[in-house]
Amino acid sequence: MDDILSSILSPGTFNQMLRSATPVALAALGGAMTEHAGIMNIGMDGMILMGAFFGVWGSYMFQSAGMGILMVLAMGVLVGLFFALFTVQFRSDEFIIGTALNTFALGLTSFLSRSIFGTAGTKGNPALPTIHIPLLDRVPFLGAVFNDNSLFIYLTWLLVLAAWVFVYRTPYGFWLRAAGEKPETLRTAGIQPEKMKWLASILCGILCGLAGAHLSLGQLQGTFAENMANSRGYIAFACVIFSAANPSKAYLAALMFGFFDAIGLRLQDYISSDLTNIIPYAITVIMMVYVVVRGQQRRRQGHRVKAT
Amino acid sequence: MKNRDKGSYFASLALSVLLAFAIGAVILAVAGFNPVQAYAAMVDGAFSNVRHVGDFLEYAMVLCICGLACVLGSRVGIFNVGGEGQLLLGAIAACQVGVVMNGQSKWLVLPCAALAAMAVGGFYALIPGVLKVKVKVNEVITTIMLNTIAASFCQFLAKGPWKNPNRNMVAATGQLDPQYWFTTLIPSSNLSTAILIAAVMAFLTWYIMQKTAVGFEMKLTGQNPRFAFFSGIKTDKIVILCMLISGAMCGLVGMFRVYGVEHLYRSSISNQYYFEGLTVAMIARYDPVTVILLSFFFAILKIGAQGMELSAGVPNQIYLIIQTVIIFFMAAENGIFTSVQAGAQRKKARAALARKEEQSHG
Repeated sequence: MDDILSSILSPGTFNQMLRSATPVALAALGGAMTEHAGIMNIGMDGMILMGAFFGVWGSYMFQSAGMGILMVLAMGVLVGLFFALFTVQFRSDEFIIGTALNTFALGLTSFLSRSIFGTAGTKGNPALPTIHIPLLDRVPFLGAVFNDNSLFIYLTWLLVLAAWVFVYRTPYGFWLRAAGEKPETLRTAGIQPEKMKWLASILCGILCGLAGAHLSLGQLQGTFAENMANSRGYIAFACVIFSAANPSKAYLAALMFGFFDAIGLRLQDYISSDLTNIIPYAITVIMMVYVVVRGQQRRRQGHRVKAT
Repeated sequence: MKNRDKGSYFASLALSVLLAFAIGAVILAVAGFNPVQAYAAMVDGAFSNVRHVGDFLEYAMVLCICGLACVLGSRVGIFNVGGEGQLLLGAIAACQVGVVMNGQSKWLVLPCAALAAMAVGGFYALIPGVLKVKVKVNEVITTIMLNTIAASFCQFLAKGPWKNPNRNMVAATGQLDPQYWFTTLIPSSNLSTAILIAAVMAFLTWYIMQKTAVGFEMKLTGQNPRFAFFSGIKTDKIVILCMLISGAMCGLVGMFRVYGVEHLYRSSISNQYYFEGLTVAMIARYDPVTVILLSFFFAILKIGAQGMELSAGVPNQIYLIIQTVIIFFMAAENGIFTSVQAGAQRKKARAALARKEEQSHG
């Protein structure tokens, strides 16, 4: 029992937590944008998958990870435009479009991957650099957790901050939230809520694309495997709901997912990996229930306070 | 649907299918394949051999029952996205019943297996159903999480406690005795007598939804839960019941796959088949009869695509692309129409304004 505990509390676990959390966190940032704009976006899984594929493809074609990221950015904008075209312009059912987008991404990436790389997939393409912070490696524990990680782990922190400032401290963020909460009021104020929805959708496409790029070009060093998003988009959606679309809280929720994922990986030495794989997903369901129940309790208490 | 609506629905469906194939052709051409050859290989893959016909009929059965299970949920306003997990659990439970009860009469084993599959699938659907009704937790997320959990759990059972005694079989449960297998209808194809049971199920589902009072209550619950509740319908009960039946249907599909095709449990029992059924239900706009008709079309497409991969080397995923493009068009049909209309009106208004200005200048 003691070695299980010491293996769980090792710096390796917390480093793995950061790694597992980052793609989910990036996607959750994107999901926070669409959630604020009042779009139910369950198509994030597909967006991540497309990001993962186009990142590797760009990196393979130009033999440069930077070009892979550029390709992902372009793809993210396109996917965002595509998603907004249907959900905002054509007012289609968001649930249908989201589900269809996920299946479409699975079909398109698998088709292209098999056409270009064959059935085995691809690996070993130019990957994103890892960042070495001098002096940090002398700090025990923290050094092993925070040093020598893939670029996007650090970039995500900046993006969380940027997203938070954008949503809560800029007029655009204010309009974005208004577009979701009170679209008619926003229209009266002279700003078209549809425009903010388009913006949110494009930002979401880019952020989810980056999440996928981190997965394929960062975490797995230039590897693409079919369906590699593996329901992370849905977990990101759950994180958005846990955090009420607050970017910093969404990051914490993603960290929690990462933590349980890391524990699962640690426990693989003791239990079948098929059982440990269940942990993060089961925790997500439990958290979903907890958050909803908690919210209902608060609302009830709120009513009571008002009544007295 | 009224007849006139049906006409326009099928017209736009036909147009969407055509456009989807056109877009599929462009993607094929870009990827360096000859679209004409690929599509010809697709038709060939589905019809060239009577074996393939059997395969697509079996797949149509899977799509149809999964699609109807989804329709059942959406009719009362709950999306059962968790059919995949219910199917897998139903399959492994049914299989294990057959393995454990080996030696008993098949008239005892088959009903027990079916009951086990329905019970397990139904119970697994009950979790998100109850959470949705009692706690108001979004069922889409919970069902998708439960899918992954079920898939991992079945994998664990197939590798560990219920593993096939044969060492070379990795991640598969014990095999069923041939006396329990459903009789194959077309030799060396996947088609078995299970399709007859499935046909009865499909008919019953349609009948209950369209022709009975319960079906009407379901419709009311889905369309306007508040109105339904205040007119005395026990909406919570109906939603949970529908979810239960929906899960039981998915579980039975799992049993059909085990007893009809694979004869043991392994992960190839279902490769996201429920999601394809759900897609069919979406394209059919949750209309039971249309689901039944369309499942044949998409089954032909899928089996054809697999044949195409073997004969022409084109990855069969082009099938998923074509299918989803059809959904995009069908889901956006109204939107595209009104957008185009609004655009035309704007143009007309601008032209009228320009004419007016010209007149006032002239």
